[in-house]
Amino acid sequence: MGKKKFFVKRKKVCKFSAEGIEYIDYKDVELLRQYTPVAGKILPRRVSGTNPIYQRKLTRAIKRARLMALLPFVGD
Amino acid sequence: MPTYELGLVLTPELEGEERDAFLGEVRQLIAGAGGEILKEDDWGKRSLAYPINHKRDGFYTFWTFLAPGTVVAPLEYKLRISDHVLRHLVLNMDRELRRSHKMERVRTARKVKKAAVSPPALAAAMAEGE
Repeated sequence: MGKKKFFVKRKKVCKFSAEGIEYIDYKDVELLRQYTPVAGKILPRRVSGTNPIYQRKLTRAIKRARLMALLPFVGD
Repeated sequence: MPTYELGLVLTPELEGEERDAFLGEVRQLIAGAGGEILKEDDWGKRSLAYPINHKRDGFYTFWTFLAPGTVVAPLEYKLRISDHVLRHLVLNMDRELRRSHKMERVRTARKVKKAAVSPPALAAAMAEGE
């Protein structure tokens, strides 16, 4: 008999709706870095828990930051 | 006139007076079209996330300015053909913030509606507004 696997589900919150951030600035590199953890990829919604509206804004901000060489297109 | 935000990444080789001269030209272009620069935010030299034209650093500066829409095309044309500019980005901030302005209006409208139903809530909403 195998042990029953279980894990604690952590409640995911959308940082932007929780803190009332309505405009995601592409210049805010510190904030955007939290959403590009590995290889400079954009963290999916199912992981971060971001609301759809803010995920789209976040995506746009990250892509703008990449264009301005503030964030890498490909990470290491 | 909409508010615009200009992001500029210049080559690190452009320094001192040369850089001031180039930025002066850009300023003049905005002012010449009847624009007004509200804020200039210099980040100085910063390492690029990836090399551009074999350069590892760039001089970053972000301006907020008020100008008629006709300024954008000539401005972008100038930045695009200039050898000093590694990257540039012009955003219409009115358009960017439209949703949050709209949400603000919706929220105040909701408060007013709530206040119409119960007078004490009106007083609370007014107090919050002040």
